Amino acid sequence: MSTGSKKSPSKARVLVVDDESSVLFTYKLILEQQGYAVTAAISSEEAKRAIEAQEFDLVLCDYSLEQQHTGFEVIAAARARRPDVPSLLLTGYATIETTEQAKSDGIGVLFKPIDIAEFLSTTSAFLRNEHESQKVNKDE
Amino acid sequence: MRLKSLELVKGGGNILKEADSRIPATLRLLHAERSDEIFPILMEEIVKLGYPRAFVLSVNFETGEVSPIAGIKCSDSYLQKFRTSLYADHPIVSIFHGLKPSILPRSSSTGRALYCHPIIYRNPNQCWEAERQRRPECMATDNFRNARKLSLEGQQCKTCEMRSYAAAIVVEFPKKASERAVGELGTLIELANKYLARLFKIEHYYNRMRDMEDTISQMNAVMMSMADPVVLTDMHFRVVMQNQAAAKFFKLPDETTEGLIRAIELNNMLFSAALSSMAISGTETHRDLTLVDPNEGEELLFEAVCVPSFTREGLPSGLVTVMRDVTDLRRADQELQANYEKLRAAEDVVRQDRDRLNLIIENVGDPIIVCDSDGKVVLVDPLAEALFGSDTDRDPTRVTNQAVLDAYVSNFTYSFSDTVTQALNFTDPSTLQVTEFDARSGKIYDERGQVAYTVTVLRDWSPIRKLEQLKVERRMLEIEKFASAGRLAATIAHEVNNPMEAIKNAIYLLAGKVKPEAEPVYGILKSETERVARIVRQMLGLYRNQESVKPVNVNTLAEDTLLLLARQLQRSNVEVVQEFAELPPAVVSSDQMRQVFSNIVINAKDSMPNGGRLKIRTRQIRSSDGLHGWIRVLIADTGSGIPKDILDSVFEPFVTTKGEKGTGLGLWIVKGIIGNHGGKISVRSKVGFGTVFKIDLPMVRL
Repeated sequence: MSTGSKKSPSKARVLVVDDESSVLFTYKLILEQQGYAVTAAISSEEAKRAIEAQEFDLVLCDYSLEQQHTGFEVIAAARARRPDVPSLLLTGYATIETTEQAKSDGIGVLFKPIDIAEFLSTTSAFLRNEHESQKVNKDE
Repeated sequence: MRLKSLELVKGGGNILKEADSRIPATLRLLHAERSDEIFPILMEEIVKLGYPRAFVLSVNFETGEVSPIAGIKCSDSYLQKFRTSLYADHPIVSIFHGLKPSILPRSSSTGRALYCHPIIYRNPNQCWEAERQRRPECMATDNFRNARKLSLEGQQCKTCEMRSYAAAIVVEFPKKASERAVGELGTLIELANKYLARLFKIEHYYNRMRDMEDTISQMNAVMMSMADPVVLTDMHFRVVMQNQAAAKFFKLPDETTEGLIRAIELNNMLFSAALSSMAISGTETHRDLTLVDPNEGEELLFEAVCVPSFTREGLPSGLVTVMRDVTDLRRADQELQANYEKLRAAEDVVRQDRDRLNLIIENVGDPIIVCDSDGKVVLVDPLAEALFGSDTDRDPTRVTNQAVLDAYVSNFTYSFSDTVTQALNFTDPSTLQVTEFDARSGKIYDERGQVAYTVTVLRDWSPIRKLEQLKVERRMLEIEKFASAGRLAATIAHEVNNPMEAIKNAIYLLAGKVKPEAEPVYGILKSETERVARIVRQMLGLYRNQESVKPVNVNTLAEDTLLLLARQLQRSNVEVVQEFAELPPAVVSSDQMRQVFSNIVINAKDSMPNGGRLKIRTRQIRSSDGLHGWIRVLIADTGSGIPKDILDSVFEPFVTTKGEKGTGLGLWIVKGIIGNHGGKISVRSKVGFGTVFKIDLPMVRL
């Protein structure tokens, strides 16, 4: 299932990936409430296609996806297109290893069940950082 | 009896002057002072009577010889013809035996006829001794009555011990001799014998007295020379005689002091008292007697031997006391006795110690081997004997065991260390099973600091190890069980998590869109969903990766947890203090331990909303056997503390101090995990001051 959104230069472009449709749907709604341009993907395949199709300002991705695929693959793909894209891993399986790997790769981690206030503050903070870093890049 | 030789007579004798020849024979004989003088006078008087010559034959009672001892107008060769023996067949001898004067007829050897008059010591009165002792037996009177034989034994007095004399006065007869003349001659000879016997008796007693004086002076010399005090006392205990050694104690010297007088008086009193007690028995008596050395003032112990002395008549005359200084002897004896007692006591102690030691060795339950400085086995307990047997043992297993032990012991004996611990493998000769023993050895030094013995105790740890292994295995199983339960819970939680995530998101999205009358219901929906979310979060925490239970460092696990929570703690303004001691590895599930630390640290953080200090301390607690031990972790906070009323139940499920925000599962899970690890957990808390959790994890040597 893919939900396209019209590209608006004022809106931040967010890719959200989760293999549970109900979860994916509600994330999408919440993020849209915040005024972001949200693209939702139900699988890694779909997500990769979306990344090929357009550039994102933030990637939110479930850790465990369909079959043996993981969120790291999607983030890797997004970074392949845009190396400095801010990424957040949403996970129910919070193993030390996953957390450590995410941290070392500069990926944020949010543990499910996610407190919505924290969810919102983290996503906006990541987007701000992105803007700031972009500004810095532009200044250079 | 001393009879002078012929020469005296020949020369006329010193006392026989020409003028004396007119003095009658009786007076001349009476004037004789000594027995020697009698025969010369007699010879002269016989010649004066007109006989041509005369001589005296004397009997020697010791040899039985008959020989001439005096003669007048006789040549030596003539006299020698009469030399004979009492046992010989000589005409003269028969006259001696007959003891009657007779005339020997003419013979070629003797020439003219000879008048032969035998004389012998005889007296009508008893000897003085017999007289005094009123004994009837006396040689003098016996001879007078002709009651005695002329024999060697017969002619000695049984009372005064006088030895008799016997002689024959031989006178050569002229051709014609009247009977009257013969009678006159006989009377003269008998008279001479009477005087002779009298002088002989006096001389005998005089000689006897001289002999006794000699003996007394000899005895005196002996007594005086004795180093031991000797005292002769009479029947009234008066000192008759004492030697110098005794005088030192009992006799006041010329120059004296008051102390000396007192000492000597005391000695005399002591001695008299001892004597009177000893005299009662009438026989030889021994007694200890203490005297004071008058010069030194010290007490001396004597052993007094008291012997009664008797007169010849058998009547008691006094006491002879010989004292022997036994002070040193007794002291030595006492010391010897004391030393012997000491030795006995010491021996008893040693024996007791040895018995006790043997008892200990026999009951230690571990093989014990004592070797000398050459590594030679000197003592083994029955268990060691079973393992090593004796020197002559040919059992191959035991020989191998011996070789292993010998190598180990000699290595240790010549090493510089005082004790050593080493694992040694020995084979049980009965089961042929190889067992690893923990050999512990020590050295015993002699007084020169040389190794005298080595003692080796073998400890078979295998049963304990097996038990420990079993315990660990059981614990691991428990941990695994808990982990699988956790896994199940986590799986369920994860399955619940996604739908719940959607529900939670949906509730958020519905905020402000429900009708006012539905708001309370919406509120319940929201809060209860949040509660489920917390429980799910907690349950998810129970499962991470499938990690095996293996030895890990607890410090590392605590550090991991603090690292993971560092951001949260920093945000809450909590200062973290780590005091980690060096720890041996612990066999734990890393995941579960992280969960434990995490739960407690999060609780601590939650109890310090305005910041505070969190302290994690680890240390190792060793046990005496070196086998067991604990790893202790203390987690202390300066938070709000736990109210007393729930402190006892904090480890029970669904007990929380966080109200709506807590699940009440955190510490319950902690308690479960620690329990499964064979550990202990306790808590101390004071409201307003903080809380301290103490975790003890068993340390296992694998």
